[in-house]
Amino acid sequence: MMKLIDITDKYGLETCKYPLEPYLVPETYRGQPKYKFDLCIGCAACSVACPPNAISVKAVDTKVVWEFDCGRCIFCARCDEVCPTGAIRLSTEYELAAKFDKSALIQRGEMDMASCAECGKLYSTKRLISYTLRKLELSNLSEERIKNAKFYVNLCPECKSKKAILSLETEAKEIL
Amino acid sequence: MRGDKFIKLIEEKFNILETTREHEEQLTILVDRNDLPAVVKYIYYDIGAYLTSMIGNDERSINKNYALYYVLSVEGSKLPNDPIIPNEEKCFITVKTLIPPKEMTYPSVTPYVPACVWYEREVYDMFGLVAEGLPDKRRLMLSDDWPNDLFPLRKDAMDYRFRPEITNPENEPEFTFNEPDGDLINIPLGPMHIRNEEPGHFRLFCDGDTIVDADYRLFYIHRGMEKLAENRMNYDQMGFLAERICGICGYAHSIACIEAAERAGGIEIPQRAQALRIVCSEIERLHSLLLNIGLACEATGNYTAFMHIFKIREYTMQLAQLVTGGRKTYGNVIIGGLRRDMTGNEIKQSLETLANIEIQVNEIWDAIMDDKRQVKRWKGVGVLDQQIARDFSPVGPNMRGSGIMRDYRIDHPYDFYKKIEFTPSIGEGGDVFARIYVRYQDLKSSIHIIRQCFELMPSGNLSIKANVNIQAGKYAMGYVEAPRGDTTHWIMQGGSQKVYRWRARASTYANWPSLRYQLRGNSVADAALIVCSLDPCFSCTERVIITDIKNKESKILTEKDLKAICRKKD
Ligand code: SF4
Ligand code: SF4
Repeated sequence: MMKLIDITDKYGLETCKYPLEPYLVPETYRGQPKYKFDLCIGCAACSVACPPNAISVKAVDTKVVWEFDCGRCIFCARCDEVCPTGAIRLSTEYELAAKFDKSALIQRGEMDMASCAECGKLYSTKRLISYTLRKLELSNLSEERIKNAKFYVNLCPECKSKKAILSLETEAKEIL
Repeated sequence: MRGDKFIKLIEEKFNILETTREHEEQLTILVDRNDLPAVVKYIYYDIGAYLTSMIGNDERSINKNYALYYVLSVEGSKLPNDPIIPNEEKCFITVKTLIPPKEMTYPSVTPYVPACVWYEREVYDMFGLVAEGLPDKRRLMLSDDWPNDLFPLRKDAMDYRFRPEITNPENEPEFTFNEPDGDLINIPLGPMHIRNEEPGHFRLFCDGDTIVDADYRLFYIHRGMEKLAENRMNYDQMGFLAERICGICGYAHSIACIEAAERAGGIEIPQRAQALRIVCSEIERLHSLLLNIGLACEATGNYTAFMHIFKIREYTMQLAQLVTGGRKTYGNVIIGGLRRDMTGNEIKQSLETLANIEIQVNEIWDAIMDDKRQVKRWKGVGVLDQQIARDFSPVGPNMRGSGIMRDYRIDHPYDFYKKIEFTPSIGEGGDVFARIYVRYQDLKSSIHIIRQCFELMPSGNLSIKANVNIQAGKYAMGYVEAPRGDTTHWIMQGGSQKVYRWRARASTYANWPSLRYQLRGNSVADAALIVCSLDPCFSCTERVIITDIKNKESKILTEKDLKAICRKKD
């Protein structure tokens, strides 16, 4: 028994004053995912990667709604890994208790949708399209290919496939 | 090849219908169901094996039958006078048998190998397969008001979202506890406080202060994870679900689950990932063992020691934070490797923390050993007899405390353990003290193993892009020596890369059936301590009712009262 008291004496006070003072976590701590709306392009890569479906990306009327429910999150950082723009990153935030109001756990963003240049149907977010265009500028493809790609970016999937088939047919005819 | 020798021995005596090999050291033999008990008994006692798991499966869509798989770990009985099986011959032999759906019965193995009792009860709950001759036919897992004709794991029984109507509490059938004859006092311990992770309902049958016999039931929070994963989840999700099975040894579950899939698919992960998987599981062992040693002190009223041990445990949590980014080692394992590497700086910091943990663990152990009253409280209490241990296949420190050296890190080394040298711990006497001593030794070897891993860890990739393409119907087993003993996951592959059947056997599952014998002959005051020394959760002592059978009076003891009784005893 005395030895135990000696140990207490040797190490002194070990507790920290949290919550009166902050409790420090290492930089690499995996805390609450933080969403930066301005960076998000609505590509839905995160919602596909998220194992417990904490993130959902859905089209609602004319908007794409990105929603994250921290109550479902398991802090695995899959979303962080796959996000192409760094819009979702795990922070060092660990104080997540929500009192009564569960909506405090929800992060949400709405993005405008672009309409198809051909049929006018809404099919993707404007941001995703401009992001793709930006990436195309930076790529070192031939000008011809870029022009072609830019044309297709502005089409909804159905029109895209129709157009592609059509152009293949004309090409084939030309060759014949 | 490994195991062929044993198969030959079995063949001489029994008719084996088919032999297949799933992995280097995993073999399956198919036998007729009437031969089942004799074959399992022969392997268990004559060749020398322990029961690792037993799996029931609804294979009507594959071969029109139900199937049972008794997985035996052939490692020798390890009792002093029995022959030793050398390490390079140890293997897993699975005895498989088919049961036609028209009959739904099979001869029970439990009368010959008592270790099967819980598994056979479970198979009835889940599939409705009746073990003829099983001495204890009560339900094991499902709640008392679960419909009699609904067997959840049959493929056509129910959707995973379906929940049967809850019965009005008044109409709920009464569960019968196995009560021995005689003028005994019946003490219920539990059921539980739902806040705690592992509720259980114990009945202690006492003569005065002495426990004559005990009976218990658990699974109050059975979550149906196996059903949830079947045919739905892919391996990206399953690892994350598996680690949620336990709040303490979650990492062991995730590696066991992922490695089962990796074995079935023949995927070899990079050495660095293997080493880091071991580092994480040893960190998990550190914090789990410290938790248990701490609680063993707390149960006997030694709060000062408990607090000191929990302080050391905090350093192990910080270690986990350094390695994985979370205080628990969650969310790290994926098929083909790991997701998070360590930098040189992090390794340096980890080694410092480790040195600190080692010094403080030794100090506190010295101090506790110095305290004669504390040690006396642990000695000679809750003895697990060696023969009982042999019959019931318990695992981990519970087993090693009885002088039987079962440790999968040695018997069936996986991952980096093949490269690491360490002395496994073993105790003698099988009492609470022996188990705690084994845990202390395990702590020391864990620290040693982590250091070796950091030293031997090669650089290079942490994961490979695993192309999971497992043939439907193939199965394999993943096993890990978790802090409490081996955790075993068995996965059978279904179509479109989804799981057909997933069986997770946590370590404590194998330790419960023999608890009854550990409680016998001890005093009521020690019941809480004995249950604690198995390393389950402590929640069972939340509330106790003492019933005096003679005058039908009952008195409710709160957790406080019970602990007070426990502490008063010197
Ligand atoms: S951390 Fe994991 S669980 Fe949480 S939102 Fe990201 S992917 Fe989903
Ligand atoms: S940009 Fe990032 S956060 Fe936005 S939808 Fe894509 S992956 Fe998710």
